[in-house]
Amino acid sequence: MDMATLHSIFTVLVFVGFIGLVVWLFVLKRKPDFDEQANLPFADDQKPKQQQKQESDHE
Amino acid sequence: MSQTKSLNVDYNYTVVRLFAVTTVLWGIVGMVVGVLLAAQLYWPALNFDTAWLTYSRLRPLHTNAVIFAFGTSALFATSYYVVQRTCQVRLFAEKLAMFTFIGWQVVIIAAAITLPLGISQSKEYAELEWPIDILITLVWVSYAIVFFGTLVKRNTSHIYVANWFYGGFIITVAALHIVNSMVIPVSLFKSYSVYAGAVDAMVQWWYGHNAVGFLLTAGFLGMMYYFVPKQAGRPVYSYRLSVVHFWALIALYIWAGSHHLHYTALPDWTQSVGMVMSVILFVPSWGGMINGIMTLSGAWHKLKTDPILRFLIVSLSFYGMSTFEGPMMAIKSVNALSHYTDWTIGHVHSGALGWVAMVSIGAMYHLIPAVFNQGRMYSVKLINTHFWLHTIGVVLYIVAMWISGIMQGMMWRAVNIDGTLTYSFVQSLEASYPFYLMRFIGGCFVVTGMLIMAYNVVKTIRAKDGALEPIAEAA
Repeated sequence: MDMATLHSIFTVLVFVGFIGLVVWLFVLKRKPDFDEQANLPFADDQKPKQQQKQESDHE
Repeated sequence: MSQTKSLNVDYNYTVVRLFAVTTVLWGIVGMVVGVLLAAQLYWPALNFDTAWLTYSRLRPLHTNAVIFAFGTSALFATSYYVVQRTCQVRLFAEKLAMFTFIGWQVVIIAAAITLPLGISQSKEYAELEWPIDILITLVWVSYAIVFFGTLVKRNTSHIYVANWFYGGFIITVAALHIVNSMVIPVSLFKSYSVYAGAVDAMVQWWYGHNAVGFLLTAGFLGMMYYFVPKQAGRPVYSYRLSVVHFWALIALYIWAGSHHLHYTALPDWTQSVGMVMSVILFVPSWGGMINGIMTLSGAWHKLKTDPILRFLIVSLSFYGMSTFEGPMMAIKSVNALSHYTDWTIGHVHSGALGWVAMVSIGAMYHLIPAVFNQGRMYSVKLINTHFWLHTIGVVLYIVAMWISGIMQGMMWRAVNIDGTLTYSFVQSLEASYPFYLMRFIGGCFVVTGMLIMAYNVVKTIRAKDGALEPIAEAA
């Protein structure tokens, strides 16, 4: 197999992988699956309860 | 404000503090050298006929100082902070983390000594000679061990997207640095690249553009994905989009480097690949920018009262601007006009001062009070002053370079009916002169802003623990 064929196979694989990623994200996974992850920056503030309450009061 | 301190995990903030302070320090040093260079282009006598102060030696000092001293210190500080807080765990291998700090400072000081002495590998953004390159490699491998070690021992089930960007940046920069720094040393301060001719150029710009793509983009996007939501007090607009953003960006960036070598000895097809990939790169770049800006959707009023958020959001606007400009300039016919002109310099600074510096400054204003046990910075008013000085400075800078650059491109390509050039090079230089003054003034604005930041930071650090109370937000 020459390099050109290898490169073509690689390109197709990357393309299929990307489509797979998009399908996984938008079809197989539901939005709530990601909500917890999206809230990770705030997760370590949640332990002291009254601070969290203060935060939501500002909203 | 969301600068509440976590009480449940004992984080290691020592290394974060050190890198945060050096970020400000090296930012000032690097930008002052930049302003000196801008002044030299307007008043050439400012090199004082000293070899160490010539433009050719100070220019790599400026780029190394702002990219590797200022920018990379900001990345170290924020990545160590973000990885601990989003993984809810203390840093892995803390002594090694301290080694990354000391080692990196030694690299910076070695650069500050060798570059003015004229010791250089002559590769743009990879000027440092081989002994320093080896130290960089050691520091970087330690950085990877600390960062990924912390990810491994995390207390959360997921790895937050910011860490994906930081991780991608750390791995890729290691690969880029090692491959591009392959040299044969002939003495302690002299070496020759193992690559020859056009291959050497290709490797160099594969490195050079991916330093932009992974250090100056992916790393700072990691910063963006933590500090924008945190400062805005709401999660990122779309977590799905952030995942697509990550994979699309890292898959595409790696191919774009050859756009730095249009119309050179590089094979034509390689140039075309670089051009096409650069144009496609527009899509994930803007996806990411929209994701960041839309995080504020429904909370736009916060921009009115919070200058830190303004830094972060305006940085994203500059990111959007320069990632539109970049793909356009990578198109061969546009590049024929823009290459080797001041337009390139303007583009770089729109990215570096607009995007990289502003997102770092915003992140620092958020992070410094948090790691020094304060509720806020000493003066929010001064943050606002800094914001306006910086913005005006950047706009002056890039507008000056746009005009000067496009004018240069037009003048260089103008031909008379008989085919001779209409203008000599010196004529185009004369025409650029007023814009060099304008750039110098813009630079002064930026440096003044940084000095105000330094004052604000010192005041914040020296205040008694917890003395600076967070400002209650007006609902």
